[in-house]
Amino acid sequence: MDTLEKLIQEHLNKDAQAKTRRHFIKNCAGGLGGLALSSIFMGCDPLGKSKTASARTFSERDLNPLATLAPPFSPKVKSVIYLHMAGAPSQLEMFDYKPVLHKFHGQDCPQSLLEGRKFAFIKGTPKLMGPQAEFAQEGESGNWVSNFLPHFKQVVDEVAFLKAVHTDQFNHGPAQLFMHTGSARLGRPSIGAWATYGLGSENQNLPGFVVLTSGGNTPDAGKSVWGSGFLPSVYQGVQCRSKGDPVLYIEDPDGISRDLKKSTIDAINKINKEEYAKYGDPEILARINQYEMAYRMQIAVPEVMNINDEPEHIKQMYGVEPGEESFANNCLLARKLVEEGVRFVQLFDWGWDTHGNIREGSIDMGLRNKCTQIDRPITALILDLKQRGLLEDTLIVWGGEFGRTPMQENRGNKEMEFKGRDHHGDAFTMWMAGGGIKKGASHGETDDIGFAGVEGRVSVHDVHATILHLLGFDHEQLTFDFQGRPFRLTDVEGEIIREILA
Amino acid sequence: MDVLKQLLGRLHPIIVHLPIGFVLAGLLLQWYGRKKNELGKVAPLLFFWGGISAVLACITGYLQYLGEGYAFDTIKLHLWSGIATALFCFVMVFRLKGSQQPGFLQKVPILFLSIFFFILISVTGHFGGSITHGEDYLVEPLPNHLKSALGFETYEEKTIALNEENWQEAQLYEEVIKPILNNKCVSCHNPKKEKGELQLHSQEGILKGGENGGILVVSEASRSELFIRMDLPKDNEDHMPPKDKTQPTKEEIRLVGAWIDAGHPFDKSIGETGLEKELFLSFFPQKLDNDFPDIDIVAAASDSIRAIEQQGVHVDPISKATSFLQVSCINKPAFTDADFELLLPLADQIAILDLGGTQVTDSIFGKLTALPHLTVLKLDHTEITGKNIEQLSILEHLKSINLTHSKFGEPHLSALSTFKKLRTVYVYNTLVKSDGAPKPDDGKIYIDYGDYEVPALPSDSIVY
Repeated sequence: MDTLEKLIQEHLNKDAQAKTRRHFIKNCAGGLGGLALSSIFMGCDPLGKSKTASARTFSERDLNPLATLAPPFSPKVKSVIYLHMAGAPSQLEMFDYKPVLHKFHGQDCPQSLLEGRKFAFIKGTPKLMGPQAEFAQEGESGNWVSNFLPHFKQVVDEVAFLKAVHTDQFNHGPAQLFMHTGSARLGRPSIGAWATYGLGSENQNLPGFVVLTSGGNTPDAGKSVWGSGFLPSVYQGVQCRSKGDPVLYIEDPDGISRDLKKSTIDAINKINKEEYAKYGDPEILARINQYEMAYRMQIAVPEVMNINDEPEHIKQMYGVEPGEESFANNCLLARKLVEEGVRFVQLFDWGWDTHGNIREGSIDMGLRNKCTQIDRPITALILDLKQRGLLEDTLIVWGGEFGRTPMQENRGNKEMEFKGRDHHGDAFTMWMAGGGIKKGASHGETDDIGFAGVEGRVSVHDVHATILHLLGFDHEQLTFDFQGRPFRLTDVEGEIIREILA
Repeated sequence: MDVLKQLLGRLHPIIVHLPIGFVLAGLLLQWYGRKKNELGKVAPLLFFWGGISAVLACITGYLQYLGEGYAFDTIKLHLWSGIATALFCFVMVFRLKGSQQPGFLQKVPILFLSIFFFILISVTGHFGGSITHGEDYLVEPLPNHLKSALGFETYEEKTIALNEENWQEAQLYEEVIKPILNNKCVSCHNPKKEKGELQLHSQEGILKGGENGGILVVSEASRSELFIRMDLPKDNEDHMPPKDKTQPTKEEIRLVGAWIDAGHPFDKSIGETGLEKELFLSFFPQKLDNDFPDIDIVAAASDSIRAIEQQGVHVDPISKATSFLQVSCINKPAFTDADFELLLPLADQIAILDLGGTQVTDSIFGKLTALPHLTVLKLDHTEITGKNIEQLSILEHLKSINLTHSKFGEPHLSALSTFKKLRTVYVYNTLVKSDGAPKPDDGKIYIDYGDYEVPALPSDSIVY
């Protein structure tokens, strides 16, 4: 202890020696000048805007950041369920049928497609690889669905396909960020954050933006894909776990009763209210509100996140695995959350990165298993929402962060053990279903081998513009001022994809 | 030499600002010096240098005219007024300082000369600006009605109105193609502006083409410049209209292509060209399918909304574009029939009412008739059995009813057939069973019985 004090004393002495009288006088002059200046310019309040606490009026938003707001235009949907297949599913084995690619199977990829191009792993001249699935036209719409998705054909007439989506990113992290925040760089709010910022959330006992992952790996881009960026952090996604406590520490600790918790929060809020009376800062009111919401959430969240009470036939319909972390469980939870008025539900599934380097990542085996895992739950989700009358108020979006190459991956310019496809952003398939969507539509077309879109190409920004449009926004008007300029989800781009709107 | 000519010529836009600055400063000093103080004495010096720089401007201006290939007609006003300005600088110097002035000059008051000088230099500057920026540079940003009031020709947006009945009789060029070109192209391609020597306001202009020749290849849109330019990606340099102008829609571009493919007829109706109806659908009046009636009503008093919200009932405008409200009891499951009285101040405005999961009973139906604009009604997860639901038939806007997870019974289903606008009814998990249930008003009302199944397939359990 003595040594420590000595050391500190020594440091202070050294510090004092280093400072000369000149330093002192300089600091005095600067400091006093600064003080004078701040009073001349009236501190941080040059126009004298702030008044006393009692004279101020607050919007409901000041007190509760999730209070609902009306969108500028009549919305088609109230909620969004976004199903993201992290790793990027192969459109060529699921929805984008390319019989011509079959013919060229095993042949060298034409040089014209490779010139000046960079792929994540493909080197030299790769060989084209025909579709590894069998396709058939399903439903009244006659849209193509592969035999990897035998259940999905039951709902094919409910969805609208986007066959030629393109992105400019070919690595998972940036591409996921782009897909969810409109920018491949960190720092922008995600779609769900924008939606809850713009609309708030109806159920006062639940978060407005919930994220569910199927276990395994979290998305490469990390939690930023459901982050709030520069928006207030209250709009970020709340990740709920489908196994164990849905939200960490949501249960009261042992020995703390609900009553004790209530009186704790009451005491804290009382102090906060006194604080508010003194300073009139609306942030304090928001905090009081958050404490109360957290208290209510302790009951409401475990309730809504519990799938055990669902009837058996519903559990079977989704193919849930109680007690596990699974995509099927999450689909059922998504329905329950939307039923309870949650604004935005984001589901991440993992394991779609089918390079062909391992068995799980092979196009003909691993991908097929992944398809089996999502096929039934997604079909059930659409039908279950429909029978409850919720599908007309809900938008379901399905997609990955990019697509996969028509060429077989040849990592290190060698033939690989399993069949795989590399990352490819030029053209991939997404689909939407629900309110305001033209049922059975298919927009966009890729060339004969599915390399690039030739008609109806849409960008990630276009997808965002369409989602915001269905929620009742003009994507050009929904902005947030940050660092001296208004920001929007679609940056300076984006056109609504009217071809898939009813 | 040509290089020097062009280079000097291009200095003209810079040099012209010198005489403007000199002259305006001189006039200003003259104005201040009118009270016989010293300031005015500097003015002749400024006018002198104004004159020198104006001569330089005239020379460079003339070189620019030669070097850049302007038509003499375009620049003649600017040229003559420029020379006049230069000369007038020296006239002013002479008038203010000269010792032997001719009599007539002396007779003109200096004030008069100054005002004339001011007008002359302004007009010269304006003529110059019109050459570089275009005649309508200043007028263009004005709103259309102001423009036409000022006597400028406007190419006003003309809406294309087709409908189910008459679309085949409509003249393809006159009623569809011409308005598209008028709205999106003609503001630059008209007799006055004629960018690229192309005029698109008339049949003659379109047939004549522009500086690179014809813009139409008979029946081949993909080789016709008119279509190619519009169809190029927006970022392409040759894309028309330019990136920052209002763009035609995809449907409009497609239609221009279809018109060319059909041999660009100028006097045929749509029916005669045999073009598909699908091409024109986006010009048909859009049917509004909102969850509220297509009428205007007065907004609800914010006090009444607040009073209801304080009871835990959620009230929200459907959007900022309408005064209709959506009301939800999602946060108030204890809501009972008696609580309905709360909502009566908003009776006119409520279009969407969500009473799902509340304590309401069949007697709610009688009360709901007080909401004349009710469009979407949710009564799911309640104890209602459907008795008296026929009372709702007087609600002429009612479009959708959600009865799922209630005790709604089959006998009441037929009552729905008298509902005027009812389109969708959800009866999943009620006492109504899909097999053998009477179908009210066959086909008009979609009844969703639910109970969908996703039967397990053998392939579900295969792991590859």
